Amino acid sequence: MITTALTFDELAALMKQAAGVTVDARELEKAPDAPFATLGVDSLGLLGIVGELENRYGVALPTDAERCKTPAEFLGMVNSALKTGV
Amino acid sequence: MSTERPRRAVVTGIGVIAPNGLRADAYWKSVREGLGVLDRITREGCQDLPLKVAGEVRGFDASALIEERFLVQTDRFSHYAMAAAQLALDDAGVARENPDEPFEIGVVTAAGSGGGEFGQRELQKLWGQGSKFVGPYQSIAWFYAASTGQISIRSGFKGPCGVVASDEAGGLDGIAHAARAVRRGTGAVIVGAAEAPLAPYSMVCQLGYPELSTVEDPDRAYRPFTAGACGFVPAEGGAMLVVEDESRARHRGAAVRAVVAGHGATFTGASRWEESREGLARAIRVALDEAECAPEEIDVVFADALGVPEADRAEALAIADALGAHAARVPVTAPKTGIGRAYCGAPVLDTAAAVLAMEHGVVPPTPNVFDICHDLDLVMSRARPAELRTALVLSRGLMGSNAALVVRRGDDTTR
Repeated sequence: MITTALTFDELAALMKQAAGVTVDARELEKAPDAPFATLGVDSLGLLGIVGELENRYGVALPTDAERCKTPAEFLGMVNSALKTGV
Repeated sequence: MSTERPRRAVVTGIGVIAPNGLRADAYWKSVREGLGVLDRITREGCQDLPLKVAGEVRGFDASALIEERFLVQTDRFSHYAMAAAQLALDDAGVARENPDEPFEIGVVTAAGSGGGEFGQRELQKLWGQGSKFVGPYQSIAWFYAASTGQISIRSGFKGPCGVVASDEAGGLDGIAHAARAVRRGTGAVIVGAAEAPLAPYSMVCQLGYPELSTVEDPDRAYRPFTAGACGFVPAEGGAMLVVEDESRARHRGAAVRAVVAGHGATFTGASRWEESREGLARAIRVALDEAECAPEEIDVVFADALGVPEADRAEALAIADALGAHAARVPVTAPKTGIGRAYCGAPVLDTAAAVLAMEHGVVPPTPNVFDICHDLDLVMSRARPAELRTALVLSRGLMGSNAALVVRRGDDTTR
């Protein structure tokens, strides 16, 4: 049973690791609707974040996860998937 | 009736990342002094291979020059290209992300092998951990076209872009491609090549080349045109140029450093060096013809200088075939013997050296080469002062491409 939820801190760390984008987790939390594109994360960067999460949690995330436009949308989708164990 | 002159493509900026210098001025200082920097390969994982000597780019701090989000998605060959492109843009005074003219500037690079180091890392993840551990940037980082794409994205240049994959001589073909784009109406093209062949997988790929020198003494490993010629030594790095419409350059007050006057290219087959004589001679004639240049006008030749006896002989004969009696008088040089051959980057580095040589009025020497066994006036030991108005740059690839480029001095003599 997975009880972990992805946080803004973890997302910020993943953005740095997978896409080379340095962003402050608190800034991300304050403006969660700022598009990934504006933050400098391109589609392949988000795909890398999805891959890392799938490897980390051993689950397959919905294919829509890599199409999310904003951190808010992405966290919502990932956390709901982790909760239901999809 | 229109009296408008045809558009001319000129060089307004030079950026160099080379084993002997991390800027055009540092590169030129080493070239002019005939500094040889060939050395034992120190790159991680490369020590146990039979190739021991190369021209390594050292002291290059990618993270100080390129944003991290570009670094994570690119191989070393693109790091060198992006850094060289920025140096060329700075040199030319061309800004990135100019919202007034995104379509005015294009990007062209030539590539000989793509990003082997990045690709090897991801393939090791594939076989070591599984397919889910291969990062998505593998899809673009290894690819020949990566550097053109990343320079275009990073700089906001949306003009005509391209990638030339025509072997080592592609470095010259790329410059010609850029010049054609400029003559057709594009304002400027950032053009050149940089390579990173010093990684384990990439080095193993090269071991199959019969022309590769595996001599372990750096001073003796690459000595074209001599009786001791034993093949070539690879190098990493390269150069990028800003090739620009002459009237645009003048309008913005940029120095016209050289004119891209003529180019010719032929193909004579992999390792068929004897036949490269005819192919290279033909490429020279085509380039002279396009430049409306008589053989006697060539003031210096930057030789391909492969370092394989029959290839050296073919090149010396090709120069004689194409330049006639002038071949016995024209100074010939091969500064790449001091740094090795950076594949597609090599002829672009030579073109940069040719422009700098014309500006400084001096033919740089051919390091490590002392007594030659061909009928050429090869400049050895030390630089030779000379009035240089027109230079001929030659290049051949291991797979059979031959190319020649004629560049003429710009009219700015204040530099």
